[in-house]
Amino acid sequence: MIRANHLYKQFLVRGQPLVAVDDVSFQVASGEVYGLLGPNGAGKTTTLRMVMGLLEPDRGEVRIGNSEVQLDPISHRKMLGLISTNDGVYPWLSVREMLLYFADLYAVELTVAKERMVQLTQQLGIYSILDQRCSTLSTGQKQRVILARGLMHDPPVMLLDEPTRGLDVVGSQTIFRFIELIRSQGKAVLLSTHRLDEAERVCDRFGLLHRGKMQHEGTLSDLQQATGHSHLTDMFIELIQETNG
Amino acid sequence: MDVSSYLSGGRLQRLCLKELRESLRDRRTVMTLILMPILVYPLLSMALQRLLIGATGSSPTTPYVVGVLEPEQGQVIEELIYQATVLVDNEVPWSIPVPQTNESQSESRKERELKEIERIRLVQVDKGTLRDSLEAGLIDIAVVNLETNDRMNRDAARWSLNAEIEFRQGDAHSQDAAGLLRRLCQLLNDQQFRRLSQSLGSGLEPAVQLRSKGVGEKPDAFASVASVIPLVLILMTITGAVYPAIDLTAGERERGTMEAMIATPAPRFALLLSKYVAVVTVAILTALANLLATWITLSFGGLGRALFGEGGFSLWTLLQILPILAIFAGFFSSILLALCSFAKSFKEAQAYLIPVMLLALAPGLVTLMPNVEFTSLLAVVPLLNVLLLSRDIMAGGPPIVPTLIAILTTIGYGGAALIVAANLFGAANSSLASQATWGDLLRRPLKRKSAPEIGDFALYLAFLFPVLFIVSSMGGYFSGQTALLMGLNAIALVVLFILLPIVWLWFQKVAFRESFGLVVESEPMTSSRDLSVRWVQIGVAVFLLASTLWMFALEGVLFFKSWSLASFVPELEKLKASWMAIPLVWILATQALVPAIAEEFFFRGFALQAMKSRFRILWAIVASSFLFALFHIISGNVLSLEKFVPTLLLGMALGYVAWTSGSILPGMMIHMIHNSIVLLFSRMEKEQLTPWFGSSEHLPALWLIFGGIAAIAALAILANVARARALR
Repeated sequence: MIRANHLYKQFLVRGQPLVAVDDVSFQVASGEVYGLLGPNGAGKTTTLRMVMGLLEPDRGEVRIGNSEVQLDPISHRKMLGLISTNDGVYPWLSVREMLLYFADLYAVELTVAKERMVQLTQQLGIYSILDQRCSTLSTGQKQRVILARGLMHDPPVMLLDEPTRGLDVVGSQTIFRFIELIRSQGKAVLLSTHRLDEAERVCDRFGLLHRGKMQHEGTLSDLQQATGHSHLTDMFIELIQETNG
Repeated sequence: MDVSSYLSGGRLQRLCLKELRESLRDRRTVMTLILMPILVYPLLSMALQRLLIGATGSSPTTPYVVGVLEPEQGQVIEELIYQATVLVDNEVPWSIPVPQTNESQSESRKERELKEIERIRLVQVDKGTLRDSLEAGLIDIAVVNLETNDRMNRDAARWSLNAEIEFRQGDAHSQDAAGLLRRLCQLLNDQQFRRLSQSLGSGLEPAVQLRSKGVGEKPDAFASVASVIPLVLILMTITGAVYPAIDLTAGERERGTMEAMIATPAPRFALLLSKYVAVVTVAILTALANLLATWITLSFGGLGRALFGEGGFSLWTLLQILPILAIFAGFFSSILLALCSFAKSFKEAQAYLIPVMLLALAPGLVTLMPNVEFTSLLAVVPLLNVLLLSRDIMAGGPPIVPTLIAILTTIGYGGAALIVAANLFGAANSSLASQATWGDLLRRPLKRKSAPEIGDFALYLAFLFPVLFIVSSMGGYFSGQTALLMGLNAIALVVLFILLPIVWLWFQKVAFRESFGLVVESEPMTSSRDLSVRWVQIGVAVFLLASTLWMFALEGVLFFKSWSLASFVPELEKLKASWMAIPLVWILATQALVPAIAEEFFFRGFALQAMKSRFRILWAIVASSFLFALFHIISGNVLSLEKFVPTLLLGMALGYVAWTSGSILPGMMIHMIHNSIVLLFSRMEKEQLTPWFGSSEHLPALWLIFGGIAAIAALAILANVARARALR
């Protein structure tokens, strides 16, 4: 579903070029959860932004389905849903208003959007708070509103950018259940995280990013064979030590 | 998805509604919208009234309150006032000058003084509090001592009275009251003296008789106070827009809703537009609330009468200022959005806005200076133009040309700022947000661009707009030297419309020669025969359009001239007269050749290509033609409004030619021939034209019919060319 080929991106930081992503390639199939792993500053968010079409790669291409994102990045966004760490809600809007607003941004027809809103909020257990202002919601309720928001346009591809950062055990559990739910719906899921234990639990395949480069890629057993370590954490420690050394 | 199709079907309305809901449900917006006007204006009115009273005396109805200690004292003073009133009423000659006010110029001395006497009110005050009451302004005169002599004979109206009064130093109202009492006493003394003189039977004359009279105009303290009102209104409108502008941009980022919004397929310009509509709406609502508060304060607080005379501050004046405030709100909202689009947090946005708010005060202070006239040059200065315009509306009648210039420039600046805002709104999110700075706007991109982007054009336009006005206003220094002026105009066109844009396009790494069609691109799938056929087709279309478009331009100008403002016509006629003395070659070079190349490069090259990158081709052509027309109606201090529609249509035709042919060169040719024909006609006298057109000012109908057919044929040929190009 997602195919990233030889992505390269550099930025100018105070006039000096900084390579954020260097020749990164990976594929995510429908119904698969792909973990894009790496420490802070590895290039995960930049890669996600290129997949979303928010950033244009200097070299390389991203394909969603059969078409290239860069040729029409805006239309491609209809096929993508995004949930990110820093996501928030509109304090002065009700949950219903906020969900319908995002459906409108994705150009979903109003009747379809209303049906989908009812279905999603029932699944996530927030149907009863539809007419409550977002400012009055608890942290857990807000989190579920954000998850519903990401699915309002029923995208075939879901991008999750550090979705569990700053959440407690209950919050993280909600996210895992959500990932299971969208996997079962056949969506391609690209999960970027630095929480390796969590990734091991939910991902089918992994890409290990460090300093903008893809260091290892494959299923857990592929990586175990390649590195000789059984856990992702150990693989990473070795990787960081190698590149630093 | 382009902006216009995305926003169809009521989506814009829904997006705007969401932004408005968010703003208007927020207590802080409502505070500035409703509470501020309710609190600020009455307080300001009180302060101003105090200031006015201190500076220029009281309003004609404010009573003079005289405080006495005992009822007997009150009776004596009442008697004194009564006797004096009788004397005034009988117009016995008195030598003391009575002060005149603006309102009282038509009244007789007797009427004025009687009105003044009617204002006196007596109140009884405790001895211990007399001085305090005076100082606190509860009374205007304190009668501290009053001794009547036993010999006083009221029937004979012979007075023998020792009185001591106190008033507030520096308070004009209190001083006026004391002056009135002094005059009344003097009147009684004069009368007593006159009687004594009569009873003595001899002509007892006063030692000195002095008559004095003030000359010149009384300085108008009201005018400067009245000019504060537009400043306050503008500042309050700004205040109303500031909070929603920050909240809907930096606030959105702080809440963490910005990224999710930017990740949707909604075009950024559409998102910004909905935010802009919301900010402008709140700003206009604030302006309305403030105008109403001003009107209520001025109408019911008495200050209006003091400032604007008996009629006060009329509702009509208010309705005239509202559109100006609305245009200003549109302009300032786009500036605010441009600034706030960069900020990552509320705090950062506030830090950006505070200097702007302070800067906004500077032109305000200029309007407070006396004798600042609302000229065409000042009408170009943002903010100052709106302040001067509002001031002149309140004073009765603003001059028409500066008014139009002020309105057009304010809309223009607002539009340019909005395009810059759209550019920033996207840029800050698409790059590493934490590292985006203002410098990024002027930083050279890493990659080459095949065509200019809307942001490249917007930034250049933001620079060009004020420069163009200043350059065109400078033409006034060379009035009378038409040939020189034409040469300078041509140089300005080359510099501003070709050279500087080329530098800017080079800096932005835009392959403009290819994108403007200045070099013939090799087309591998096209045979040289097909290419030749295409160029022949384009050549025929150019010939047909060049030889017919002028007819419609001429008829258009004649049509619109008939209802354009007649006052501009003599100015144009005068210009034409001085043209006749200039060599034709010079006219054609400066008025046809250079404008054709420069304007086509800028409007069909830079503007159209940049707009094409963001909008559908139809809207890109319309928008670039609108700018083209706007540029043509402004020449120096003269607005040639009749040129607007014909130039707009001409621009659209040239835009179509550029789009279909894929090059700006055919348009340059048409533009040059078109200008040359119009110029040649303008050099001919009416008699020379008669054999061609008859005695009518208009072209023969047959010409127009054939011209129309030829033009349509040309457009059809071009459509065919476009189709052939699209197929490849």
